[in-house]
Formats: sequence, C-alpha cells, structure tokens
Amino acid sequence: MTVPIPADISPSAGGAQLEPGSFRDPESRVFYSGDGVFRALSDDGLSDFRALASTKLYERFAGDGRLVETNLLEGADGLPEGLVKEAAGVLEHERIPFVSYPYEWPFSMLKDAALLQLDLLLAALEEDLVLKDSSPYNVQFKGAKPVFVDVGSFERLREGEPWVGYRQFCMLYLYPLMLQAVKDVAPHPFLRGAIDGIAPTQMRGLVSFRDRFRRGFYLNVFLHSKLERRHADRGKEVRDELKRAGFKKELIVANVRRMKKTVGRLEWSPPQGVWVAYGERNSYTDDDAKRKDEFVREVATSEPWGMTWDIGANNGRYSRIAAEGSRYVLAVDADQGPIELLYRSLREEGEEGEEGEERILPLTMNLADPSPGLGWRGAERRALHERGSPDLVLALALIHHVTIAANVPVAEFVGWLASLDTALVIEFPTREDPMVKKLLGPKRDGLHPDYERESFERVLAERFDVERRERLESGTRLLYFARPKGAGRPVDLTAAEG
Amino acid sequence: MDLIAYLDAGSGSALLTAIAGGFAAVAVMARIYWNRVLVFLRIRKPEEDTSRQQEQPDSA
Repeated sequence: MTVPIPADISPSAGGAQLEPGSFRDPESRVFYSGDGVFRALSDDGLSDFRALASTKLYERFAGDGRLVETNLLEGADGLPEGLVKEAAGVLEHERIPFVSYPYEWPFSMLKDAALLQLDLLLAALEEDLVLKDSSPYNVQFKGAKPVFVDVGSFERLREGEPWVGYRQFCMLYLYPLMLQAVKDVAPHPFLRGAIDGIAPTQMRGLVSFRDRFRRGFYLNVFLHSKLERRHADRGKEVRDELKRAGFKKELIVANVRRMKKTVGRLEWSPPQGVWVAYGERNSYTDDDAKRKDEFVREVATSEPWGMTWDIGANNGRYSRIAAEGSRYVLAVDADQGPIELLYRSLREEGEEGEEGEERILPLTMNLADPSPGLGWRGAERRALHERGSPDLVLALALIHHVTIAANVPVAEFVGWLASLDTALVIEFPTREDPMVKKLLGPKRDGLHPDYERESFERVLAERFDVERRERLESGTRLLYFARPKGAGRPVDLTAAEG
Repeated sequence: MDLIAYLDAGSGSALLTAIAGGFAAVAVMARIYWNRVLVFLRIRKPEEDTSRQQEQPDSA
C-alpha cells in the first residue's frame, strides 16, 4: 500500500494548498496539489495511521468503499507551508466528486452518516483504536453512498479516556436527527448557523418537559445539559476522576451501542403530499411530459458531460435522465421531502447493485439562499459555487419559483446561470401556466413586469448562445438549450418556433 | 502516552458517558464516588494538578 510520491507534489512543482477546513487536528492536515488530495501526518498521526492500516477493520471498510481510498506515499516532499506540526508522512486520497455538508443532506443521509460513524467506532474499538472526533463533516457522499473521509480521525485508544467524541456526536448528529424526527423541525438552519452544531443546553431549551419520556432524550438531552452546566469548569478534574475510577473500553462500547440503538430508532418521513407528488408531474399533460423527457435526453446524451447540476430537481426524474450522459449529477431542491425520497430510492437501487447510486448526489438547498462559506474566515466550509462548476445545468420548472416566489429579477437569475459558464437546459413557463398563475396570485399586479417570454428570451440571448427552442404542446411551457456566449451556434429567437 | 485530545470532550459530557454505560458504568460511578468519600475524609489526597498548563482551549 506504500507507493512512490508522484512527481507533481515534489517541492519543485510547488502550488500545494492547505484545505482551509482541516486545521483543527494538528496531527493531520489535508492539502491539494494538482488534481490530487493529500493528507500530511505528524509523527503521532503516522503511527496512528500505521496502526489503522494493519487492522481488519481497514481492510473491510476500505474494501467496500465505506472508508475513503487511501495510499501512504513514500517520503513527505512537496508539502504546503503553514503546517502546525512537522509532517512525518503523506497520504493520498481519492477525490470525492462533489463535497457536500450536513446542512444540505436530507434526514436519511445524516442518519446514514451517523450510523457509519458509529459502526466505524465500534469496529475501531475492537482493534484498540478509537475515533478522536464525531463530525459529520468527516463523512462525504459519493452519490447516495456515505464514505468516511477522515482517516486521521483514528488513533490508538488511551487507557482511561472516555468517549471524547460523544458531545460532538450529540451536537452534530443526534440533536439534529431528534429535532427532525420528533419535532418535525428541519435542523438545516441550526447546522448552517453554527459550525459546531446544537449545544446540549440549547437542545434542552428546544424540547418540552414531556420529551424526557421519549427514548434517549432524558440521558442525552436533559441529564447531559444538566451535567454540562454543573461541571462546566472541571475538565481536568473530571478526566482524572474517570481515569482513576478505571474508565474502560467496555464502557465506551456500551455507550456507542446504546447510541446506535437510539439513532436507529429515529425515523422521519416527508408529509403524505410529497409521497403522492413523488412520481407525478404536476401541471403537465402526458404529451408534454414525454416531450420534455425526450428534449432533456437528447441534450444529455448528445455529448459526454462531466458534471451536471439539476437545480430544482424535485423527484430527480431529470437527474436520472442526465445521468445517462453525465459522469456525475447533483440533484438539488429546496424541498427536503422529494430529495429524501430520491436518496432512499437511490440507496435501495445501490443495495440491489445498480450503478446510479454512486453518480447522483441528492442535496437540499434553496438556490435563492444557497450555502455560504462558514467557520473560521468563512472558509472552513465552502459556498456552493466554490465547490466545483457544472458543465451542464438543468433548470427545469425553476425560474418562476426563483423570480416570482423569491423576487429575484429574471436578468439576475439568467446572469447567475451565465456566471457558471455552463451549457444550459432551461424551461420557461409563461404567465398563462397554472403554476405561474398560482405564484402570481397573491402578488400585486405589475410586480413582475420582467416575467414575460419576450424579455426572458432577450436576456437569455444576451448571455447565452441559444441553440434550440421548443414549445411543449399544451402551449404554456418552453424549453431552451443554450451554450455559453461564443461557444454555440445561436438560432434566431425572433423567428417562429421550431 | 498522556496526551490530551484535540477535541474537548466536555466535563459534563464525559461524566455522562460514565453514567450512560449501563451495567459497565455502575462500577465506574461507584469508584468515582468512593474516591470522593476518601478525599472528603482526608484518607486520600486529591490528585496533584500538575498538568494544568496542558489544558487546551475549547475546540469542540
């Protein structure tokens, strides 16, 4: 598993860049060089990795892809500047196609990440290792498949230490899952609002007295917040006390098993209406729906696309069509419900051995309020646009939601799409469309003068080369295929529709 | 090896893990309280606080 260090991370190549979100653990720091993802390990970090690499757990979890593919490189050249500890070794990791964060995952993605974390911890304890933290930011998704990416989290178990990651597990996994499952409150604003998640005392304030009778609540929320208040300044004292009393590995195992049961019991399902709508397409006739499928398929398979973003993906119907011709597809929707169902079906298909599971990444995000940069210097977690750019964007049945419901001017929306420097399939429902009428209903007349077909086409033609336009049979929806300005062969939009 | 984890476990949280371990936790809690009794009766000295300087700021 040791391989020679590649030439492009030699010191002469230069350009190695530290990952801004990986500074918390001084024993292990991620950096990039060329297209590669690397991890610099301190002396202790390297010993811990060697201990991990010799275990059955490593073989098992790396073998089935639940642990990120990793190679230990010979030598430690070409390191970036600014490492807190001197590097004793370098690992190379596989690159995850698109980095996502827990505040963009539907319930089941966060739950699956939590269960993976706990399974790894249980397996690690069997080998006298432990995970030094419990952060969902250490889990990424390859499509609908969770992958643990922070091999630097494993360390040799120290005698007498408690489960150090317990508090973090509660704050970033358990409490968000509990809020969604029991309170039907989406935890995304909490996770996006604080990089460390929901503190025990905060969580206590969010639940009611009767919640203490629910499984897992009394211990993990009520008692936890009480003990935290009472022992706030006794860190060293408590640690010594526990050590002297003989805090054994078996106790951590018992804790983790109990937590696994608690997490396993938490369930959430989207409201019934989402289930009903899933698989249906509102306000389309059968002919329209069929023609729209064909239009998207013709574009998606016309050339090999790299990354496709299906924004406003809903149930992922067009993400699946896009996947026929794309290496990787991001399926993004502001509504958690359909994205939850899409994730579940992709996961089931993966279990049945179908390959789509690893090529469609379902995420929930409001594009009128997309994920910003978070954490230290706003750079620990990256904004959406800093995590990669698409080659093809599908913006189907979306523009009226962004421009009418969220009041973004049509020209600004098209300008944002143009800034992605991408090919585009966009659907424009006219003012006569039932959904547009519904959105305009509560608005004062004259508030959206720019939402007209002519002005939309003018703006689109200014920013893109529009190669195709097609009106669906029912007459209220138009589809366009466009390339970045200067990259396509534009048609005359003032001419009659083809 | 007496290193301190980079992540602050939180003293209340660490105590909770001692309580929440079911059967395995009973003995640990009994020993914690027994130690406290011995310290209270001055039969045992409280542990020297030698490594205070190793305390790290909260990095949770």
